[in-house]
Amino acid sequence: MGKNGYQKQARGIYQFISEHLYFNRPDMDIKGERFNSAILLSLLTGLKRGKELIIGEPGLGKTTSAEYVCCLIYQFPLGVIWGSEVSGHPEQTEEKIIGRPDLGKLNRGEEDVVWTNFSQIPAKIVDEINRLPETKQSMILDGVDRGNWEYLNEMIINEEYCLFATANYQDGGTNTIIAPLVDRFDVMVESRYPGANLSFLIGKDKRKDHVLRHPKYEKDLYHVLKAKIAYEKKISKMGEVCKAYGEYLDETLGVKSFQREDRDQIRTEMENLELNLDASALTRMVLAELSFCERYGQKRVVENCEEGCHYTGYLCHQIKNCASNRLPSSIKQYAQGLAWLLEDSEIDLEHILAVLPYTLAHRIQWKDEILSQKERSKRDDPFPIFLAKEAVKAISHRYREQSEHLKDALAVGSKIFQGEELEPIEGDHPIYLEVKKDIDSRKS
Amino acid sequence: MKSSPPSKKNSILPSLKENWITKNPFEEFKTFALSTPVLPLDQIVQSTEAIMDRIRWGYEKLLEEEAKELVWMVQYNTIIKAYEVAEKYVKEIDYTAEDIEDFCFALENTQRIPYLIPGPAGIYISALCNYVKEEEIVLKLSELKTEINLIGFRLPKGKRLMIEGDTGDFTGIGLEGGELVVEGNTKNWTGAGMRGGKILIKKNIGLHTGEWMMGGEIYVGGRVRGLGNIVEGKVYERDKLVYPGKVRYPNLYY
Repeated sequence: MGKNGYQKQARGIYQFISEHLYFNRPDMDIKGERFNSAILLSLLTGLKRGKELIIGEPGLGKTTSAEYVCCLIYQFPLGVIWGSEVSGHPEQTEEKIIGRPDLGKLNRGEEDVVWTNFSQIPAKIVDEINRLPETKQSMILDGVDRGNWEYLNEMIINEEYCLFATANYQDGGTNTIIAPLVDRFDVMVESRYPGANLSFLIGKDKRKDHVLRHPKYEKDLYHVLKAKIAYEKKISKMGEVCKAYGEYLDETLGVKSFQREDRDQIRTEMENLELNLDASALTRMVLAELSFCERYGQKRVVENCEEGCHYTGYLCHQIKNCASNRLPSSIKQYAQGLAWLLEDSEIDLEHILAVLPYTLAHRIQWKDEILSQKERSKRDDPFPIFLAKEAVKAISHRYREQSEHLKDALAVGSKIFQGEELEPIEGDHPIYLEVKKDIDSRKS
Repeated sequence: MKSSPPSKKNSILPSLKENWITKNPFEEFKTFALSTPVLPLDQIVQSTEAIMDRIRWGYEKLLEEEAKELVWMVQYNTIIKAYEVAEKYVKEIDYTAEDIEDFCFALENTQRIPYLIPGPAGIYISALCNYVKEEEIVLKLSELKTEINLIGFRLPKGKRLMIEGDTGDFTGIGLEGGELVVEGNTKNWTGAGMRGGKILIKKNIGLHTGEWMMGGEIYVGGRVRGLGNIVEGKVYERDKLVYPGKVRYPNLYY
């Protein structure tokens, strides 16, 4: 691992943002190293083609942190990133988000689409997504999920893209983000106040992000984006300008950014990292607690837990909704990214535990009694992230108590699947019943 | 006309039913060497019983040594004395929060424990909670017929004790910074003499609430039947601060 120096390069980007552009306090401890969750997860989002929801108070760097990461990971000058952002407001339209008819051609009786910069560039930012009314949020659902952007029966497909969306806390002008859109975000993180002293420094240095501007390359890129050529050709032309901008960054700032080939290579390296047995067993345990219901077969948001259920000590009793199939994929993606960055050879418990709260925070719908029970607890995180961290702490505790027993149960499950005549191992946790269900379904 | 042999094109799917093998969802654990050659459930039962015997023995010793005084008269020094005896036995046992819950049920449901006396049982359960390794303890007591007194005595900082069901008198007395949550009702003298921490009662609370409390907070989701003479601390009734503030006369029915 780490032979090509990509990890060092990624850490260089992290350090440059942290020291010069986005002053912060580290708030994550991973294997003895301290990171700031907003920059770290944004970096992984950029590298892993993820989708990140950044929450926080106005003016605390939600959008700018994403912009810096997009600049340095995708080699787009800051001006192009600004010009490609979609801002959430009630009057937003499909024409401003995705594309519009080519009016010149339309006059001649032809139909053609002029795609927006947002739909064309791989680094996408939606600012204040929760100011979009619910009906308009669904316009970006498909694009967010698959990278397909459709307008007037035409479509462009983003082979490579990542998405950052920012959201303010609820105020008079915000809407709730619809559940299917929320679930599509891999992680949610807070862009936090850096403290009075660092904030004071930010106030002193007004135009620090100017270093990422480059008017010439910005003009060149706009020219490519507007060109009436096939999207695939635009990608390769944009690549050339981006490469030149990357060289400029290296020469003037000493930051090595990533070219398309580098990013592809990094992703291949990340994909090769697998979960070790502990990481796998813990993830299964988490998924079981977030989806299990003894009475109704699985969690459903419309069904309530019954009184006297045996499994009241587990998360399934505290939540309303069921974990989606996107959750394990988000956990694996970000744990892979983290393991890669730390130059580890496999994904272990610590990687999973580090990313879990951020993958769960926006997805779990807690029961009202849990919310009222814990809302006054002393905490350092926004409420949903705090609750997710508490939940992860509790599951991790349960896992440590019975890790060997659980791995035995999974190993026996595997043996039964291979045809051995064994009895499944029992236990009190929902995961043992889930194992049993899988075995029973095979028998039947 | 010669009939052509069946085309083998498009045969991506296996033709024989036997080839349809369900994917092994536990594939990665194929090579994992089992750590327990005997049935783990047996082991669990065996070790749980051994621990339960030790817990039960400690309780019987407490009853022998201290029960008389506690049964007849609850005085703070007798409680402290009984707690010291309970501490002595509890410290020697390696148990978990789950064992405490099992013990609570064994108190009522087995013949092996001779009698349940709400006071000493509460003192003993409090000692068990205060010395258990886990920081969060959940006790499901809603099916117990007897309401246990003195539960949560001296709960230290960093511990969170959650009780499902009702508790008796003297709940959470002498609390030392921990967090006690009772999902049901509590009786009189709740939080008396507490020094810090938080007591959260979801339903109603009895008389003399917070008598001589020196700090901390009591939150009551239902009604407070009567406040005691509070020295310092806060009491909330349905989110409304009732002490300090416009103090009601202690123990007046309203």
